[in-house]
Amino acid sequence: MTFMKTVRRVAVATALAMGMAGAVQAAEKVNIGFTGPLSGGAALYGENTLEGLRMAAKEINGNGGIDVDGTQYEINIVSLDDMYSPSRAAVNGKRLVQQSNTPVVFTPHSGGTFALQAFNERDGFLVMSYTSIPSVTEKGNELTVKIPPNFTDYVKPFTKLTMDRFGKKLGVANATHDYAKYWTKAFVPGWEAAGGEVVASNPMDYNKSADFYTGVSKVLSANPDVLFVGGASEPTGLVVRQARELGFKGGFVVMDQAKIDEVANVAGGLEAVEGAVGVTPLVYSDNPGAAEFVKLYKKDHDGVPTSETAYNYFAMFLVARAMEEAGTVEDAKAIRAAIPQALSAVSTNHNPYEVKNITDSGNLAVDVEIAEVVDGKVDLRKVSEIGAE
Amino acid sequence: MDLFLQQVLNGLTLGSIYGLVALGLTLVYGILHVPNFAHGALYMVGAYVCYFTMADLGLNYWVAIAAAAVVVAAMSVICERLVFHPLRHAPPIHDKIAAIGILLFLEAVVQMYWGADFRRIASPYNQILQLGGLTLPAQRLLIIVGAFSLMGALHLYLKKTMTGATIVAMAQNREGAFLVGIDANRVAMMTFAIAGALAAVAAGLFAPINLVYPAMGHLVLLKAFVIIILGGMGSIPGAIIGGLIIGFSEALGGFYLSSTYKDVIAFVLLVVILSIKPTGLFTKGVR
Repeated sequence: MTFMKTVRRVAVATALAMGMAGAVQAAEKVNIGFTGPLSGGAALYGENTLEGLRMAAKEINGNGGIDVDGTQYEINIVSLDDMYSPSRAAVNGKRLVQQSNTPVVFTPHSGGTFALQAFNERDGFLVMSYTSIPSVTEKGNELTVKIPPNFTDYVKPFTKLTMDRFGKKLGVANATHDYAKYWTKAFVPGWEAAGGEVVASNPMDYNKSADFYTGVSKVLSANPDVLFVGGASEPTGLVVRQARELGFKGGFVVMDQAKIDEVANVAGGLEAVEGAVGVTPLVYSDNPGAAEFVKLYKKDHDGVPTSETAYNYFAMFLVARAMEEAGTVEDAKAIRAAIPQALSAVSTNHNPYEVKNITDSGNLAVDVEIAEVVDGKVDLRKVSEIGAE
Repeated sequence: MDLFLQQVLNGLTLGSIYGLVALGLTLVYGILHVPNFAHGALYMVGAYVCYFTMADLGLNYWVAIAAAAVVVAAMSVICERLVFHPLRHAPPIHDKIAAIGILLFLEAVVQMYWGADFRRIASPYNQILQLGGLTLPAQRLLIIVGAFSLMGALHLYLKKTMTGATIVAMAQNREGAFLVGIDANRVAMMTFAIAGALAAVAAGLFAPINLVYPAMGHLVLLKAFVIIILGGMGSIPGAIIGGLIIGFSEALGGFYLSSTYKDVIAFVLLVVILSIKPTGLFTKGVR
């Protein structure tokens, strides 16, 4: 009996304490929505993007929240799992807007973006899309912001670097999901326009294959000089590793979904990915904001941050500043309109990729940096230096 | 010719892993009379135990595989005691739902504790043998040899020992087994333990050439289901031969036809075999 009494007393005390804490921090809350894959094969990717938002929200709230016309708002991230499925993303979008009243919804995939675009203008919320497919912002949706650069910006420099170094014969061995297909559709014509030829094309399902030996050996039997690979980093690493085991000596074009440092971890070190070109891994970047972000990330996490986390971290700050500039946490149109001013209000420490502009259609623009593995080291080069415009 | 032999080797590697997983599934089918959906999760847990024994405790690869086998066998027995045994008089659908529940539970627990990250078990055998134009990584040879010796050992155990014979008897006819005085509890626990250990060893062998992540069991489980349907539910030779059929069809079909359609090839095979022998290749005629 005494035990039960103690339990009751503790419960009452806790309730009182919580009530008082609530009374002290009576700050208003603004909900920010997220729908992305949080379970299943793409769970890691979804978690990485969401973690960027959480880190930013924590930092903003730690500094007293955002100040909108004299009212302090705390940022509260409401995340829902859509298992990478556009239809679930649409359901989640509706739920977020109706139940949590979110003025902004983040999503890390193109399918989810298209699904949300079907009703975001009518329901009045801003879609922050983490995908590099150009068509996301080409359809005239006025409440969409695309966070990373267009993947098509990489086609020419990737082609030039690998073709000059290894030769004109390309083997296609990337994944089979939608994003990989968009890449193939843009990359293969680019390669051919530069005078190259495609000697083998054998995309593989990176998520559903237990083993890549068969597919890789099929592509290698056509003797390509360069392999076009990509999907999630780790399976890409397996493909690279198995290609090397089967005696491939050429270079790799790595789709931007995969990060060269993560690919190398699985493939057997940077020597194994010699001659690979891909997007710059955050840890190699020499932007001051990137170094700050890596430091911040390492404080609370094991391992190194990915660009997904960094871009979403920045995008959360951008939205917060845009709300302050617009003087509203509800009107999505006003928030979108305030993004150009907000870009200069985000400090360099919160902007690892040094994003400076936004196009009218909603593309955030950066001068893209590309990583190439030369003699077992990662070399960074700006697109303009490569001379492949 | 080299290319063909290379594909045969790939087929053997895949087939022997699929076969090992399917063997456990088929054995448990003999007890439960429903497919055990949790088997893929046991496979995944086996890979994680193997990974952490190596990465955190710094133990040898073989010790890690043995540890995984013991831990997963114990987990499998616990599942039987806590979940399937109390359901033994319930309709089969309850077993199915319970099995799916275990699958989701184990996956969620693993993801909660260790995150969704891909991990990699470093193989202690990184040598690559070259035979003419044939590439033979040591780990792949190890998979083939390991899997087939385990299958051989299991065969001997079931055929030559008394305990093995009781397992076979239970699978063939439950009432008959009771009549001759076989202790059903003991046999059920034994079968679950063997099935768990097989899944864990398969995971330990295969993980070094693959990745370790919470959803890794789905794919292998799906193949194992196809295999036991193809080979005949509850049939041991069926699981082994079925494993090889799927392994070879993936490797050869993927190479000579198209990797995009390699799963289609496996399923077309399934349809063809089932339309000729609707009960699967090796059925015991008792159910």
